[in-house]
Amino acid sequence: MELHTDERLSAASTGCSSSQAEGASVSHLLPKDVQQQIARHPCYSKQAHKYARMHLPVAPACNIQCNYCNRKYDCSNESRPGVVSHLVDPHGALKQFRAIKKRAPNLTVVGIAGPGDALANPKATFSALKLIREEDPTAQLCISTNGLMLAEYADELAAHGVHHLTITINTIDPVIAAKIYPWVYYNHRRLRGLAAAERLIANQLAGLEAAAKLGMLVKVNTVLIPGINDQQIATLSAAVKARGALMHNIMPLISAAEHGTYFGVTGQRGPTEAELSSARDASGQFMPQMTHCQQCRADAVGTLGGGCGTEAASETSQPIKIAVATNGGPLINTHFGHAQQFEIYQLDSATTEFHFLERRQVAQYCNGASECPEEEADKQAMFKAIEDCRMVLCSRIGIAPWRTLEQMGITPNVDHAFAPIDEALATLAKTQLAPKADSHKESNDEVCHY
Amino acid sequence: MKYAITDKCVGCHACLLVCPSNAVFADPDNPKQFMIHPRRCTGCEDKFADPQCASICPVEEAIVNESAMAVNPLGSLTGIELRREC
Repeated sequence: MELHTDERLSAASTGCSSSQAEGASVSHLLPKDVQQQIARHPCYSKQAHKYARMHLPVAPACNIQCNYCNRKYDCSNESRPGVVSHLVDPHGALKQFRAIKKRAPNLTVVGIAGPGDALANPKATFSALKLIREEDPTAQLCISTNGLMLAEYADELAAHGVHHLTITINTIDPVIAAKIYPWVYYNHRRLRGLAAAERLIANQLAGLEAAAKLGMLVKVNTVLIPGINDQQIATLSAAVKARGALMHNIMPLISAAEHGTYFGVTGQRGPTEAELSSARDASGQFMPQMTHCQQCRADAVGTLGGGCGTEAASETSQPIKIAVATNGGPLINTHFGHAQQFEIYQLDSATTEFHFLERRQVAQYCNGASECPEEEADKQAMFKAIEDCRMVLCSRIGIAPWRTLEQMGITPNVDHAFAPIDEALATLAKTQLAPKADSHKESNDEVCHY
Repeated sequence: MKYAITDKCVGCHACLLVCPSNAVFADPDNPKQFMIHPRRCTGCEDKFADPQCASICPVEEAIVNESAMAVNPLGSLTGIELRREC
């Protein structure tokens, strides 16, 4: 329980929301060798928030249905697991990795988390893992799975160098599982009800045990669903711990009606902060808790919401960020008004270099998740996507958005049009070092949500 | 031709990965729309108890049989009867 005390102390002293709690408490319960192994993995260690991770969206198919997921995942204005804008094949994934790695030396982790299930797409998953491993043997490979096919593929995962594994296990009680999973596809049949639930749980636990025996660091994710699985968290935690799980990540259910999920449509609510923390307490008797999960998209790239970390609390000035309008290429050749995404770079004050922080999809920032954005909302979304940045680089920009940006305290910059992004940033790093004492305060809240 | 894919398809690849006859392919003009090659599809009759595409497809009314009836009708997979669009 000292874990929980730490949490409150840290939350009180930083004044940041509870979603960003205190990784220190996580790691001091772990053996030292394990701590070293997760030290550069932002999804395991809160201290690793300087390091970036990249999810390769190569696994579209899924073999189970969860009541908190809508398989019509093509909604780029949502940010939650299972949602992704563009699928890539393994060679496309390698290309993306190369492009990001070049500009983000802090990229340490490459994972496959969907948008379906990594192990329901074994060919694409293993081929992507192999290509990345050949390209960069130091990259830490990780996989996220529902566990249905894990026992079958555990050896192959280990052989491909996968060391970090996340299994989503919501319960070990088939009666509860039947309320969460309407069906699973296994051994060429669609199983339903209790048969589906029993099969899934048996395979998850067998897979967990196999992976742990192979030396993988296994994190268990649990979606906390009030009235459904919230009373069985201690049982679940004890059971997965006994089979070799390393830590537990209990996440709140996301069930907005407009997502069109079963839980969303039927009005199943998510947990309150108190319910979430009580579930984490219950599990904390058995296992270290991970509490800084951002429930990111299957194509997420970057660090886990930079401004929320302990570092932000200790620094007096806000970090300097620059947005680059981009279509994914290495050059600054995108018109501001045509940008579908921005790459965000942050100045590292120690090395005085810009480091890649994250990629932001413009559509994610539109207001009103249920409607497709009108032209006006589109423009608003662009400004909102980069509102915490000091400058935006693009190839060209209209006079109206130029003025709007200036009013927001963001400097539009077309001086580096058609130049390589990394060269432009190197030049700017030399001129952006004096922090302006002013104006643009970054909202920690905004970063936390993302 | 035994089975076909309707425009409810979201292009998730699941059927393509499990089809034993390699009969599933993406519409060259629309990667989110999959199709079943009518002459390649055997309905899985010789191989499995159930048609594989319809056993893994997560989208209701996306796969129809020879009589154009949905193999997975509305509500049969998600439990949601009234659809709301994303």
